[in-house]
Amino acid sequence: MSRLNPFAKLPGLNTASVLLVESEEHFQQSLAEALVEETSVTVNVRLAKSFPLPIENDESRPRIDLVVFIINLTSELSFQSAEASLKYLEPGYFLGKVCFMVTNARSSSVPAERLDAVRRLAASLHCPLLFAEEQTPQGVTNAAERLLTILKAAAGFVPFTTPLYLSNLTRCTLPPDIDQPSFD
Amino acid sequence: MAGEAASLEVEGPLSEAAQAELLELCEEQFAHLEKLQNELLLCEPHFSDSPQEQMQNRLMATEAELKKRQTEEPQLLAGNPDILLHAGKEEVLKLCSQLETVLSCCQAKRDKLRETKELEQKWLEEKTQVLKAAKNHVEQLQKEKEDISVHSMLQDIKEKIQKMKAYQETLMECLGDILEKHVPLPQMEAGPSRRKKSADSQISQELVSLSEILEVLMNKALQSPHDPYVIVDETFWPPYVEMLLRYGMAVRHQENSFKIRLGAFF
Repeated sequence: MSRLNPFAKLPGLNTASVLLVESEEHFQQSLAEALVEETSVTVNVRLAKSFPLPIENDESRPRIDLVVFIINLTSELSFQSAEASLKYLEPGYFLGKVCFMVTNARSSSVPAERLDAVRRLAASLHCPLLFAEEQTPQGVTNAAERLLTILKAAAGFVPFTTPLYLSNLTRCTLPPDIDQPSFD
Repeated sequence: MAGEAASLEVEGPLSEAAQAELLELCEEQFAHLEKLQNELLLCEPHFSDSPQEQMQNRLMATEAELKKRQTEEPQLLAGNPDILLHAGKEEVLKLCSQLETVLSCCQAKRDKLRETKELEQKWLEEKTQVLKAAKNHVEQLQKEKEDISVHSMLQDIKEKIQKMKAYQETLMECLGDILEKHVPLPQMEAGPSRRKKSADSQISQELVSLSEILEVLMNKALQSPHDPYVIVDETFWPPYVEMLLRYGMAVRHQENSFKIRLGAFF
């Protein structure tokens, strides 16, 4: 089983690479377009549907600084695919180089248990969990900005900060009463 | 570090010596990076998938980072003052723009708070007025309770009746004004047609205004409730009678179409 290794390759000069993983490929494209507009560093965006990544692209793939799992809350498959993909990552990635991004969280057709499951997953891996609005252009820009902040830290562009340090501060935490039945 | 130095190069016109120094610094850093990378690849990764061990690894990594941070000595970026000037300038500019963002954010927040404060004050004022009114009412009630007597009650009722009468007066005046303004007598409208005037004026002399018709109807309904019908004669202008009938203010007699009465509003 070939796994993605965070330190297998040398980093590119002044370049940060991010891998967006989304099984449905709805949000990837627009988010990628917003991400590459960053000017202070070269942002390299790679898209994938799920892990494992194809071996034939191994050579051309840069060192991935941040893996983002985009989970559409309205689809169970999206969550399952992300969960299944996690085992193809070296554990080194979980020291601050993975984050989860949830879309459609405001949709009324989303069962509350699914969001809880995503939170549980993110908390168990000590990864940050971001919420994004994919319908509006402003929501996409906001999501891209927040990702860039994490990406810059993950790629080592922020002095005196390391990805592990950042993830210790921003990791998802579970509310203590998550297992209790809610009354709404 | 390499990235930082590279971005400085693009920034502005540096002296050749400074550029050379920077490049050398970059080379040095990159060589160091490559060395570390090779070491990383060589060491056997013994990560395991169990969450317990991952947790321990995470703790170890965090502790190592902490230790490194505590023991690290701050290092000068480079000795060349030119480079330092550039780096400092860039840093200060960045800081400036960040502070500007913070300032505008704070100002927006302050404005919002000010608005909220005004709203709250208005609300408070309203509530104090309500409280005052309620207190007055309570006081009055207590006072009444204390010195209640036949005489004072009579006086009270008389006052109330007086008030009601005054109110009715104003209502009637208001109604009269409206009727005068919006439903005038037909003779006023017949101004421009001079040819017909002589014939019209004779009839209109005898016509009564709408308010008078209403008055007659109301008086009749109150004075003889058993027979509230009024006979429609030639002094009632037919369009007014028609209007009253159409809007349900008056009702025609079932057998005698010349008789009308006030609609049953009560």
